[in-house]
Amino acid sequence: MLLQLNNIFKWVNSGGQRIFLLKDINLEVEEGEFISVMGPSGSGKSTLLNVIGMLDTFDEGEYNFLHESVHTLKEKHRANLYKEYIGFVFQSYHLLDDLTVKENLEMPLLYKKFKGSERKAIVADMLDRFNIVGKKDLFPSQLSGGQQQLVGVARALVANPKLILADEPTGNLNSQQSEEIMQLFKKLNEEDGVTIIQVTHSEQNAAYGSRIINLLDGRKV
Amino acid sequence: MFKNYLKIAWRNLLRNKSFSLLNIVGLSIGLAVTALILIWINFEIGFDQFHEKKDRIYQVYNEYPIDGEIWTWNSTPKIMGPTIKKDYPEVEGVSRYNYEDTFLFSVDDKRIKSTGTIVDPDFLNMFSFPLIEGNINTVLEDVNSVVITETFAKKLFGNEPAVGKLVKVDNADSFKVTGILKDLPNNTGFDFEFLMPWSYLQQKGWNDKNWGNNSIATYVMLKEGINYGDFSKKIKTLRSAYDKDSPDMVTFLYPYTRGHLYSEFENGKEVGGHIDVIRLFGIIAIIILIIACINFMNLSTARSEKRAKEVGIRKVIGAERQALVGQFLGESILISFLAAILALLIVLLALPSFSMLIDKPLSLNIMDIRFWILALGTILFTGVLAGSYPALYLSGFRPSAVLKGTFMKMKSPVTPRKVLVVLQFSSAIILITASLIVTQQLNKVQDRQTGYSKNNLIYSMMEGDIEKNYMLIKEELLAAGIAESVTKTNSPITESWSNTWGFEWKGKSEDNMTLVHRLIADDAVTKTLGLEIINGRDFNLNAYPTDSTAAIVNESMVELMNFEEPIGQTVKDNGIEWRIIGVVKDFVMNSPFQKVDPMVIEGAKAWFNVIHIKLNQDASTKESLAQTEIIFKKYNPEYPFNYEFVDQEYAKKFDDEKRTGQLVSLFTLLTIFISCLGLFGLASYMAENRIKEIGIRKVLGATVSGITTLLSKDFLKLVLISLCIAIPISWYAMSQWLQEFAYRIDISWWIFALAGILALGVAFLTVSYQAIRAAKMNPVKSLRTE
Repeated sequence: MLLQLNNIFKWVNSGGQRIFLLKDINLEVEEGEFISVMGPSGSGKSTLLNVIGMLDTFDEGEYNFLHESVHTLKEKHRANLYKEYIGFVFQSYHLLDDLTVKENLEMPLLYKKFKGSERKAIVADMLDRFNIVGKKDLFPSQLSGGQQQLVGVARALVANPKLILADEPTGNLNSQQSEEIMQLFKKLNEEDGVTIIQVTHSEQNAAYGSRIINLLDGRKV
Repeated sequence: MFKNYLKIAWRNLLRNKSFSLLNIVGLSIGLAVTALILIWINFEIGFDQFHEKKDRIYQVYNEYPIDGEIWTWNSTPKIMGPTIKKDYPEVEGVSRYNYEDTFLFSVDDKRIKSTGTIVDPDFLNMFSFPLIEGNINTVLEDVNSVVITETFAKKLFGNEPAVGKLVKVDNADSFKVTGILKDLPNNTGFDFEFLMPWSYLQQKGWNDKNWGNNSIATYVMLKEGINYGDFSKKIKTLRSAYDKDSPDMVTFLYPYTRGHLYSEFENGKEVGGHIDVIRLFGIIAIIILIIACINFMNLSTARSEKRAKEVGIRKVIGAERQALVGQFLGESILISFLAAILALLIVLLALPSFSMLIDKPLSLNIMDIRFWILALGTILFTGVLAGSYPALYLSGFRPSAVLKGTFMKMKSPVTPRKVLVVLQFSSAIILITASLIVTQQLNKVQDRQTGYSKNNLIYSMMEGDIEKNYMLIKEELLAAGIAESVTKTNSPITESWSNTWGFEWKGKSEDNMTLVHRLIADDAVTKTLGLEIINGRDFNLNAYPTDSTAAIVNESMVELMNFEEPIGQTVKDNGIEWRIIGVVKDFVMNSPFQKVDPMVIEGAKAWFNVIHIKLNQDASTKESLAQTEIIFKKYNPEYPFNYEFVDQEYAKKFDDEKRTGQLVSLFTLLTIFISCLGLFGLASYMAENRIKEIGIRKVLGATVSGITTLLSKDFLKLVLISLCIAIPISWYAMSQWLQEFAYRIDISWWIFALAGILALGVAFLTVSYQAIRAAKMNPVKSLRTE
């Protein structure tokens, strides 16, 4: 088992009232799964993804990730854990504007203190695998949305994570670009055994996954 | 990793060109100004400090209570030096230093005027003015020996060896050149091209043993290991054994090394001196540097809020907090490094004009290791100072918050940034009022009625045969219609060279020690100088030969003597009863910033140094001068004809204050400029941050002018607060400054109003540009940004 959420609650206090963002969420994810999280706006999809990605805290419940109890870990350990095992893909790509494609891919490796030669090899491999060798010296602003997201996915994968968390990865793309990204996810899941959890509005995209989780007002339905 | 930081920092700089330019230019101006002032301060602190034995050298000072107040001065009797050497075994060397004077040197048919002085032989052993040629112990031994500087030797003898050659001084005595001095460095208060031995003074009969004639400087060097405190007690009562007139006068030694920066006394206590000006500009330097740093910090933080997203991404892909802190610090250090390079360039370019402005020969020693340590230190300090706030603040963000775009901006009413802007503008307003007041004061004093007529009035020193042929010169000048009037005096009208509290008159009280100035003139003094007679008449030797012992006094003198009818009364001075024949209106002979002191103009039976000539108003000045020169040459052929225009000499009295005014104005402009750079940057980021708000307001029907007002209002409020802080400070400080002048302006309220309007106006122009731009933006565009 990759991760397990038990009775997760998250709330904010507003005007003397407690508003629940997540309410009693239980979830088990096995390695190699491809899960789609669905639900209307404000149902807590992104919050759930951030909790799983350890970018956000929760107020109650237990969270085990690869036999580590995340809820008992200190901030720093938690950060180390997600850096090691999790890659993120965002709706608005979130590439570093001042860096070229190649440099964007190299950045996570730099932070993980890979050696120069190793970095080069891994980045070259990634560029090759995603078919973007020709774009390696371009800046994000010089790429189309689909290409930017391609780089985003490549960057998420570059440090070889066990889990990819994608928050509406195709939200800003047209249908053809969406299709390509989803195909890519499917391939990564099936051929490389990467676990993927995606948030999506689209039934069509959700269909690529092996399991769908529906949320409404912070609750699993 | 480091390379990566540098790369990102560099690209960031290039991508935000206007921001980077603003930041770098602002900081570099601040650094450059600070550097210039530091160079100046360094020069002043090092002034006269190069003498190897400086810690043992002292100047002899006197202290005496007059009218209940202790007066301190540093001129001594000529006999003081030898007396000290004779009586005190603790003393290793003593040298008298006569007033620097101009002599005419001639070699063959070459004639050159040069400034130098007369000293005791110990002088060269005490002070480090190294000899290139000659024996330091014997060069000043013989009466007719002279030591000259390298440059002066070149002027006199060209490239030929000078030692052993003869020169004629003032057409009278022959001197043998016994030594060549290295040229004086430019950071010494001494100014001489030649030195002659004291024995020459003796030979000429100019020496005297009068303890009442305090006219020269005396320097003393103590033996090594002598305790200054103990010796001070011993020498204090020196005069009691010798000076019959004032045996209680205190003699004390003042450290030579303090002479340049301090040596101002008030009631027996050292109260500073030149150091005050240096402190003032030191403070200004620090303020400007702080303002520049504030800018840098403000602009960096304002900008880095935009970079919150980047922080989020970096954290998500694995950046540690330290790594982010390092990145931001690296960027600000890079900027301060670039600014420092630009500042160095500015300093190198501006140094010559700055030297000229403050009239000090400044130079930058690039080879000095201290310079580089200081420069590197400043770069790191400003870089870290400016970078630390954004670095620590931003690196603490939670990535989920910033990436979702719900990142909250600070909304508290007192943000550090606002405090910084207030600080900046307070300083700017203080400087604006200061420069306005300095200028106003200067104008007032420049417009002051001097009480004499400067037009067409020139004077010349009586050198060589002028005194002997004075009557002939005068007759010829008047006969040819070149001059309207000619008068010889003891000093130029622009400065009083003589004063005393020794005048006596009927009814003068015993303890009245008021200083009275003494001008001496032979004939027609009020006509030549254009003084205004309010009672009695001018000197007229032709009609009244007894006018040679007559006197004319000024109004202040009449007031002091308290005579109802001063005409016909007498004042006694130097054993002569001077009969008062006229009263003139007060005229400004000393500092135009101070009140006019009592003055007596004595008649022809005294001594003379200067000849004043009132040129014919109707003839061209150039023509008159040419003819005057011919006449002077005729009667004084050995000397070149040198003269000064009185109006030009008078204008020189304002040099110091003018310089202060110019410096303050310069720094004011720079401060305003730097502050505005900062404000401009801040306003642009504010406009960007509120882009959504502006869009919504426009959709709801706000007008461009409404939005411009809204955006400008916040900043103008800060300027108003600054005004409230600045006015009392500046009022207090400038009142203190004005206290120094007896003749001064009153600080009026409109100066502060003007400064306020200026500051508000400049701030408004700066901010409104950004505000209007933001207000004009199409709301559809700005609301879509997300």
